[in-house]
Amino acid sequence: MVDLATILAGFGDAFTLWNLTFVLFGVVVGQFVGAVPGIGPVMAMAIAIPFTFGLDPLPAIAFLVGVNKGGLVGGAVPAVLMNTPGTPDAAATAMDGYPLAKAGKPLKATKMALFSSVTGDTFSDLVLITVSAPLAVLALRMGPVEVFALMVFAIAVLSGLVGNSLIKGIIAAALGLLCNFVGTDPENYTPRLIFGMWELYDGLPLASVAIGSLAISEILRRMAQSSHGTASAINLRDNGEPDARRVTWAEYWGCRFTILRGAVIGTVLGALPGIGSTAAAFMSYATAKSASKDPASFGKGNLHGIAAAESANSAVVGSNLIPLLTLGIPGSVGAALIISAFMIHGIQPGPLLFQEQGRLIYGLFGAMIMANFLNLWVGQLGLRFWVKVVSAPESVIFASALLLCITGVSMATGGLFGVAVMLVFAGLGYLMTSFGYPVVIFTIAFFLGPRFEISLSQSLALMNGEWSRLADYPIALILLVLAIFAAVWFLTRRTPSAGPLATSD
Amino acid sequence: MTLKAKIAALAAAALVAVSGAASAADWAPSGTLKLQIGFGAGGSTDTMGRVIAKVMKEQTGWNIIAENKPGGGGVAMFTGIANMPPKGNVIGMGVNMPVLINLVKRGDQLGFDLDSFDYLGTVGRAQLALIARADAPFNTLEEMIAYSKANDGVAIAFDAPPQKLLMEVVNRDSEADFRFVSTKGGAENIKLMLGGQVMAGFGAGTHVKYMEAGDLKMIASANDSRHAYAPEIATVREAGVNAYLDPFFYFAITKGTDPAAAEALGKALEAALATDEVAEVVRNAAQTDVENLGVDGTKAMMTDGLENVKVLFGG
Repeated sequence: MVDLATILAGFGDAFTLWNLTFVLFGVVVGQFVGAVPGIGPVMAMAIAIPFTFGLDPLPAIAFLVGVNKGGLVGGAVPAVLMNTPGTPDAAATAMDGYPLAKAGKPLKATKMALFSSVTGDTFSDLVLITVSAPLAVLALRMGPVEVFALMVFAIAVLSGLVGNSLIKGIIAAALGLLCNFVGTDPENYTPRLIFGMWELYDGLPLASVAIGSLAISEILRRMAQSSHGTASAINLRDNGEPDARRVTWAEYWGCRFTILRGAVIGTVLGALPGIGSTAAAFMSYATAKSASKDPASFGKGNLHGIAAAESANSAVVGSNLIPLLTLGIPGSVGAALIISAFMIHGIQPGPLLFQEQGRLIYGLFGAMIMANFLNLWVGQLGLRFWVKVVSAPESVIFASALLLCITGVSMATGGLFGVAVMLVFAGLGYLMTSFGYPVVIFTIAFFLGPRFEISLSQSLALMNGEWSRLADYPIALILLVLAIFAAVWFLTRRTPSAGPLATSD
Repeated sequence: MTLKAKIAALAAAALVAVSGAASAADWAPSGTLKLQIGFGAGGSTDTMGRVIAKVMKEQTGWNIIAENKPGGGGVAMFTGIANMPPKGNVIGMGVNMPVLINLVKRGDQLGFDLDSFDYLGTVGRAQLALIARADAPFNTLEEMIAYSKANDGVAIAFDAPPQKLLMEVVNRDSEADFRFVSTKGGAENIKLMLGGQVMAGFGAGTHVKYMEAGDLKMIASANDSRHAYAPEIATVREAGVNAYLDPFFYFAITKGTDPAAAEALGKALEAALATDEVAEVVRNAAQTDVENLGVDGTKAMMTDGLENVKVLFGG
């Protein structure tokens, strides 16, 4: 379809100092806004897009790709160092990253996150560059009925994450689904549970719920526990051992299967529009835990846990571009913003993109590869900086983090209403944690809920409400059967004493 | 100073004050001017709004920021605008159809009506089309209805309530028995058509590339007029359905804003909309041309639109 000359010309366009500068700038901005709680790369991209108008398309898109990829690496930083993830997929990283950081190895934990993130991202970029067309065809075959079955399967796999109490896990999940009903129903657009607040018409703002229940509630909890404000936010017991500050090759190599599995899960789920990185990160984590010889060590600082979560959620971002570049269909908000940037530059994404803009697309691929290397390099430097930052006194760290969360959420949701919602969910998250209900399960259910509901409604419309027609959808049937096996497998293998989400400590 | 002189001085001062307030050329927003966009980041309204804000900022030198206020297709954002003090420092950008339909269907629950705003202008008219897979066994709406009747109902992908309402009018009139598959956006409509899960659906511009590629074809224009890129395709109304959708992107501010401010804002928007930069982004993001109806035209468009929605959808 695209000849070699175009491919080489595209890569040739990409590898210039000018583009490198924009990618580097993007990665630095992305890592920074990803690591600062509350703002996030999506917001940064939305703000940056109009300013790319004056640039040529390639540096403009290279910059945005840099922001997107840098944000992935940055997002793991607050999750690992402070247990305050800004998104649910980073919450998966926090489950083992934070215990390891708390045990005096913050650099080791963040480096493992960095290495697995870049590995997963590179893997999915290579898949995107080499075999995107057949994968896109596969993604098209996954219609609403198959996606619904996939969501059921994902939920079944996630049951492997339920901690000590199955009942409390189910209650948390049900609460997450209930919160997801706020807003209009997807079928007839009738407002539900909005209590006259039109701001809720499109549902509870995602950023408010995620940051409130995951990050702010944790900050509240730590503030409640802290008796005096001079202790460091993270205990840097530097015992002089270099091992605490680095990830050895043997350790990285030991995680190769975990990383590969995470990258495959992330790449496959990322190629399906609308599923997102939350499901990928947690499915990878749950399977890594159940495949481990020592599942009890998960949740206590196991490097495999960090590797599983980060490789999967980063792999999603590369393969999200598969449906975008081959079919013109964005798989996530980040991908939608890249479409927006394409459109500003007069490039209409669609099935003809490779034919009409082949050179630009290969230039984009070149920029993605540069961004991965720069991510590694900027990350190495940046992590030391962040570890220094969080070793400041708690009173300073938590106050600044709260301020940043409030600012970020009010920017992301367009006002103080989003901040109010965030505070409500911070209170809810605090109470749930205090009584031993897994907040992470609540948040996952909330994030998977909308796709679950709409694919159910779509499936019912397509099957005319007759369940017997399920027989026409063999892939969906296989997934549903697998879901039953997965639920039985995970629930019988549950090790109550080692539940990573038994957060009441 | 005599009493007479005092009165004269006061009168002169008042005159200066009044003339100052009445002159649009002198008016400038106190502080930051916000362009609130009634949709989330990354959509076509957002893309256009951000570029318009940027061009306005360059032209006027005012400090303008664009912010997203999603919720109910602009209802949340316009509720806020209707209920804020009319200082002229916030402009709302939305789409008429979701606002009009909510006014018709649940107007008593809304915090505004059409008179809650002063209207500034429009960006243009969205080109909404009923499209289908290229291999679908029908080419016109009439053929599609006949096929649907004979084959257990054609499934149609839609991503906004007006589209469903329009096809429900068809169902009512012709017993076409169309089935509706709700999606999260125009891209998902196209995905379901390409994947073969549905045969037909709605497209607001992005479908044109797929028509060129030979993957999709257009069945009818859902607007009141035919589309420039496909002049041979009839409108839904021409196919005998007494309904149409004309989604306009428009700007409004709080009612009672200082007329000088309203005029200055309207002029600034007009100047921005007249640039090539905005024309290009409108063409790219919404596959349509800039069409600014101006202050009076926008108000008339909203008032007539409300009647149209009432009559057509039996509100």
